[in-house]
Amino acid sequence: MAKVVSYLPIMLVALVLGVILAVQFRVTNPPEGVPYINREQDIVNELRELARERKRLEEEIIDLEYKLEQLETGQAEVTDALVAEVAKTRLGTGLVSVTGPGVEVILDNPPAVDGRPGGNLFLIRDEDLLKVVNELRGVGAEAISINGQRLVAFSEVRLVGSSFINVNLTRIIPPYQILAVGPPEDLMNTLMAPGGLTDFMQDVGIQVTVEKQDSLTVPAYKGEWYMNYAKPAQRG
Amino acid sequence: MQSRNLYVMLALVGAVMGLLFATQLRVVREMDAEPRYDRAHLLVTQVAEAREERDAMQAEMEELRARLDQALAKPQLAELKAELDMIRIKAGLVDLKGPGVEVTLNDSAAPVQPGDNPNLFVLHDEDVLKILNELNAAGAEALSLNGQRILPTTEVRCIGPTILVNKNQRLTPPFIISAIGNPESLEGSLKMKGGVVESLQFWGIQVSVRKVTEVTVPAFSGGLRFDYARPVQ
Repeated sequence: MAKVVSYLPIMLVALVLGVILAVQFRVTNPPEGVPYINREQDIVNELRELARERKRLEEEIIDLEYKLEQLETGQAEVTDALVAEVAKTRLGTGLVSVTGPGVEVILDNPPAVDGRPGGNLFLIRDEDLLKVVNELRGVGAEAISINGQRLVAFSEVRLVGSSFINVNLTRIIPPYQILAVGPPEDLMNTLMAPGGLTDFMQDVGIQVTVEKQDSLTVPAYKGEWYMNYAKPAQRG
Repeated sequence: MQSRNLYVMLALVGAVMGLLFATQLRVVREMDAEPRYDRAHLLVTQVAEAREERDAMQAEMEELRARLDQALAKPQLAELKAELDMIRIKAGLVDLKGPGVEVTLNDSAAPVQPGDNPNLFVLHDEDVLKILNELNAAGAEALSLNGQRILPTTEVRCIGPTILVNKNQRLTPPFIISAIGNPESLEGSLKMKGGVVESLQFWGIQVSVRKVTEVTVPAFSGGLRFDYARPVQ
């Protein structure tokens, strides 16, 4: 009898300890349906991009309103407004050579080793160039060229046969020089991120260099513009 | 003497436990009012508001462009105006329509086998990039993904089950790529042996290609801005 009574305090303590542990568990594992920090980060990134877009739109709206105002004043102003609008819009086509800060990315195939097993497996393919270009676009590249070929909306980067790459129906050969005008720091960081694209490419033997430039020139698209199937649609 | 020590120790332990318990209760009460959870909900609301605002501003910008268009429709300016119209088309600012194909994409619906890496069977950036690229190589004249125009500056980012394009447009499945061009050439290039559709289907990615007599590729809806690129004089 005495033994049981003397165990009572221990039992109580154990009970309390159990409760504390259970509560502790709940604190570190939030209930189902509550977002974790990672989700917050995703949302915050989206908010930041939306804020940037808002700024772009604001400026565009102010610019358009200003031009409309100008049109009230007279003939000369109308022509000016038109010329300005054409110049601004033309930048979005790829038909103008542009200059500005950015990065230069050079990719070259692993040095040839006779009897290398796997043959073409680790030669630079169209996919690799597409991925680099996608990364650069993701952080705001405004104009991109590969070996002097400006990328426009319908530009292809396509492996032809087993070893040649075509851009704008023009054969390009390694080393591949990608020029991108945009925010140099961001362009560099997105490629050089640890575990990112350059790490992956270097792991498979592709030689990569990325250099920021204060001023580089991306040439204009010089090919044909195809509009045999597409026609402007009337806005409802 | 022994048993008294035992009781003293138990009393001490009990006191410490009591303290811990009291602290825990306070933490739990604070936790329920924890700003962290409220902040996440607040952020989601903010995103919805920001998207609405963006859409409204895009509509306003479009309206202003239309008014500018009308104001510029003077006979003396016919040539310049025609140039602006053409440049707008080439910059992706005009809805286009014509024959072509529609490509529908979705993650693999097949159950993942034990031991497999589920990531392999989900749509990746490069899958979408390859399809867009193949269509371009086959002569596509204009492309859009879920209504978002593909421009020289357009990136494609697969984030979880969504795709992010044009920096701030979040797309949800099903993903439909519209392409204007020769329907036979476009379809043929995707479906050829050893081609893109085949390699995606290897991973279970659901791809279907449909020729259409008319498809609309909408204008880019966002703001055009070039902060770094200047035309070469």
